[in-house]
Amino acid sequence: MLSTSSIDLPPPAPRGRAWLAAVGRPFSPQGRSAAASTVLDSVAAIGFAAGIALALGRLSHGWMAAAPWALLAVASAAVRGVLARAAIGFAARQAAEVKRSVRRRVFTAALAREGREPGSLGSALALAVDGVEALEGWYLRYAPARAAAVVSPLIIIAAMAVASPLCALIVAATFAPFIMAMALAGGAAAREARRQFDAMSRLSGRFADRLRALPAILAFDGAGRIGEELQVASEELAERTLKVLRIAFVSSASLEFFAAISVALVAVYCGFGLLGLLPFRPPERLDLVRAIFVLVLAPEAYLPMRRLAQAYHERETAEAAAEAVRPVAEELPRAPVRAVLIRPPAVRFEEVGVVYPGAEAAVLDGFSFDVEPGEFVALVGPSGSGKTTALRLALGLIPPSIGRVTLDGAAPVPGAVAWVGQSPVVTPGSLADNIRLARMDASDADVALAAASAGLPTSVLDRPIDERGGGLSGGERRRLALARAFLAQASLVLLDEPTADLDATSEAEAMQAIVRLARGRTTLIATHSAAVAAMADRIVRLAA
Amino acid sequence: MDALTLTDEPRGAASGVEGQRPRITARRPDRQGSRLDALLRAQVRARRNDLALAAAAAVVAGAAGVCLLALSGWFVTAAGLAGLTGAVLGFNYLLPSTAIRLAALSRTVGRYGERLAGHAAALRALGRVRAALFIGVASAPAAEALQLSTGEGCARLIDDVDALQTQFVRRPARWGVAAALAAGLALAGLAGWPSALMLAALAAVQILCGRLAARSLARRWGEEIQSASGRLKDACAALLAAAPEIAAYGLQDWAAEKAADNSRALGEARMAMRRAEGWQACASTALSGAGAALVLLCAHGAPLPIAFLAALAALGGLEACAAAAREAQDEPACRAARQRLEPWIGSSLPTPRAAKPQGIWLKGKGTEITLVPGDRLVITGRSGCGKTSLLERLLELRERPRGEAEIGGVDLSRLAQGEGRGQFAYAPQSPTLLAGTVRENLLLGDPCAADTQMWAALADAALEARIAAYPAGLDADIGEAGAWLSGGERKRLSLARAYLRHSPWLVLDEPTEGLDRATEAAVVARLDQRLRTGGQGLLLVSHRPAPRTLCSRELPLD
Repeated sequence: MLSTSSIDLPPPAPRGRAWLAAVGRPFSPQGRSAAASTVLDSVAAIGFAAGIALALGRLSHGWMAAAPWALLAVASAAVRGVLARAAIGFAARQAAEVKRSVRRRVFTAALAREGREPGSLGSALALAVDGVEALEGWYLRYAPARAAAVVSPLIIIAAMAVASPLCALIVAATFAPFIMAMALAGGAAAREARRQFDAMSRLSGRFADRLRALPAILAFDGAGRIGEELQVASEELAERTLKVLRIAFVSSASLEFFAAISVALVAVYCGFGLLGLLPFRPPERLDLVRAIFVLVLAPEAYLPMRRLAQAYHERETAEAAAEAVRPVAEELPRAPVRAVLIRPPAVRFEEVGVVYPGAEAAVLDGFSFDVEPGEFVALVGPSGSGKTTALRLALGLIPPSIGRVTLDGAAPVPGAVAWVGQSPVVTPGSLADNIRLARMDASDADVALAAASAGLPTSVLDRPIDERGGGLSGGERRRLALARAFLAQASLVLLDEPTADLDATSEAEAMQAIVRLARGRTTLIATHSAAVAAMADRIVRLAA
Repeated sequence: MDALTLTDEPRGAASGVEGQRPRITARRPDRQGSRLDALLRAQVRARRNDLALAAAAAVVAGAAGVCLLALSGWFVTAAGLAGLTGAVLGFNYLLPSTAIRLAALSRTVGRYGERLAGHAAALRALGRVRAALFIGVASAPAAEALQLSTGEGCARLIDDVDALQTQFVRRPARWGVAAALAAGLALAGLAGWPSALMLAALAAVQILCGRLAARSLARRWGEEIQSASGRLKDACAALLAAAPEIAAYGLQDWAAEKAADNSRALGEARMAMRRAEGWQACASTALSGAGAALVLLCAHGAPLPIAFLAALAALGGLEACAAAAREAQDEPACRAARQRLEPWIGSSLPTPRAAKPQGIWLKGKGTEITLVPGDRLVITGRSGCGKTSLLERLLELRERPRGEAEIGGVDLSRLAQGEGRGQFAYAPQSPTLLAGTVRENLLLGDPCAADTQMWAALADAALEARIAAYPAGLDADIGEAGAWLSGGERKRLSLARAYLRHSPWLVLDEPTEGLDRATEAAVVARLDQRLRTGGQGLLLVSHRPAPRTLCSRELPLD
């Protein structure tokens, strides 16, 4: 929420981090390249410092003597630019690969979940699109910065040691109290800060909640009161948060302080050393070039830590998203099975009940009935009575919470049946391609036959369909679903309100196709339409 | 006289403020009249102490940062030359070495002060803005307001407010950049005007080109990313909606691949934006480095220590400018956020008035019914025939067509905004609860309710034992949207909340759905008693027979 680009707050629970590292591993070459580019930036910084120092040192010998070193400085600056670009490029590539692979897994899990607990669509979408997208910052900024924060200061200090061991020692020595300060800040105070950071995000959380509850607030004429309460709560929370930020910001101030003081100490030591005014005999001989070199390099020692601090916000966002995405991405979906039912099966529901997660009452409480092989049964009843649930049970998409559902005595597995719903899936391509999804190896003749059985003339098979199903009328969409059922050669057909929202003509056409489809197959149809139910051999009524 | 105001005007004109309300669609608010700007300006004034402190601290930090490096460079170089020429005795080393340490300290303190004061200003200011926004949304016509109470719209609004907050925190930073640049120019000027001029020119390039690039980058790819993400959501939603079909034909892998393919466009757009960002970082880094070298060249007439001082000052100044340029990246998003927030600011709520019991007239399918206060009505019809919608229109949670219902003899469509709501206490089919405690939820029903009244209402909703089992009782937290309660308990809490409201009519939508028979019987019996003693009327929608026995009248909708 806030742009707290700082190390002020302790890291969140490490679980999200471990998972992020694990899912990034298959694409670690890019990650390593990004980290390497970030580390190499320090090497280029050494080149820059050396160029400046030597150019200044040679300036007294004339322009020509200084020019090559000045050129080195300029070239090093250019290289630093290119490395910055390369680091972003590699890291973005890794992030893109990770997002693609995680999104694939999240989507597969969401698909299985949507089958089991219909109605979770909104949250599944948020997770698969925005949740996965939020992982990016971790790979893009945090991971390379973290790798460099360990290695880069060592490289810089080593380079300083070549010119002036004592200066290297000074800078290294400032790291000790810095690390101690960070460790001190990492204890109980840190937990408090974390708690308050959560409180800070509650500022917008409360606002979000009251917006969400707006229908109730309006119905109770409570908007004025809630608005005032929102302001008071915000102000109160702001004061409490500020009290803690006062302490929390100390750790980023300590980073600033040690970064600044290391430069100051190096400058003062070098200055006094060159003047010969040090109160002790230095163990080394400084000259102007060396002094300038270490001085220009001194701020670079703390630069990686500052970059890491700036990546804090990205990391926070990504790890929070990871916490939400991980459980879904780690769900192992059942491998799709394509069983084949040779003959129309008998379907038995024995004392079946389903309790959806989060619900109190069961849908279909102790529901029993048998469907004979080849029978055509219509399920009717008010919405919420469990018609669709019964179909999903027969499809094997959800297991019953109590009781048993069997097809010819065996548990149903998805893949053995044909499904006709209200909104069949469409993919860009011809209508024939879309029908063929039900059986990928079907011949053109099979597809044409299935289409004709569903009432789609051969002339429309080549019609292009776009991503959103544009090119199909509402009635044609249903017939596409029916054509798939014909093509699938399944001997059990499940139809979920296949004629809902159709006009009378389209409904009549669809009904003819359904009658043809039911011939020689076991058929279960959930419907609100009395006309559709009347075609069935038997009607089963479900109570609310 | 009447609690209800009669108006012949269309509703929009009747309620004054709302008639002028721009729609959600992005209408560019004119600079002068922007109410959000006015609100923010007022908050800037109110927080001027915090902001001034933050700006002063930023100035100190910015200038000290540049001075630290430049002075250090000068000191080391001058000391080196003095050591070579043996002019050590005449060299004033105390002043510069003290100044260096002072600069190091001021930079630290300045940064700390800037961050703290900036956050103080933002956190304190935004409480007021959030409240104003909430009131603005709540006073909008129901159709518009409720569009925001779920999903995308709500998330958008929250993000937009957070963007405002970030902008507020960053406000003082520009003073820091100005100070860093000013310090850089002053120090470079010591080496002669060509150095200062060169730095000024480079800084102008760094800031202007940088900002321009960052802004156009964000605009171009920001839009691309937005639309790619929308397309991805559509594609995923279509696939998820067909989950059973996909399972039936064993298409899971195909569907997952299709979803992943759709995410490629989004990935490409993001990659392109990152690539462009990378080039920008490359250009600004190279410009800072090369700028230092160029300033050094311009200073070739000056003594060496001064030339070096100028170069390092240039480096510091240019780096500060680069940081300022990068922030322009957020500008298009911020402007869009402000435009989206603008329509919601500045409206005021109609004052709720105490409701005198009014009669109700309702139209059903081929029949109509007139109710006097105290009547009990059940609205019947198969599912999907519009029973819940009718209740929501009575409660003004939907657009209200003419000729469907009257309250106190006035057609719904002619009631002023919020005028009819006082008549009803509503427990909807899917209840919305506030995140917070049981008490907070019940207070929505009656802001002045005493504990005994709350417990009585909970008892009548068969929820007393459950809440009493919490150690905190009424102050027990029920989680976001009542997440720590079961579906049935959420429903009963919503029922208790409706019981607490002093309204002539109780409006209950499937109040006992999901309850076992014994609990249902208890709830119905207590509801009957409540209606008897309070003289409230009842409008009921229920599929279950038990609550329907309470009603003496029926309105079929189909």
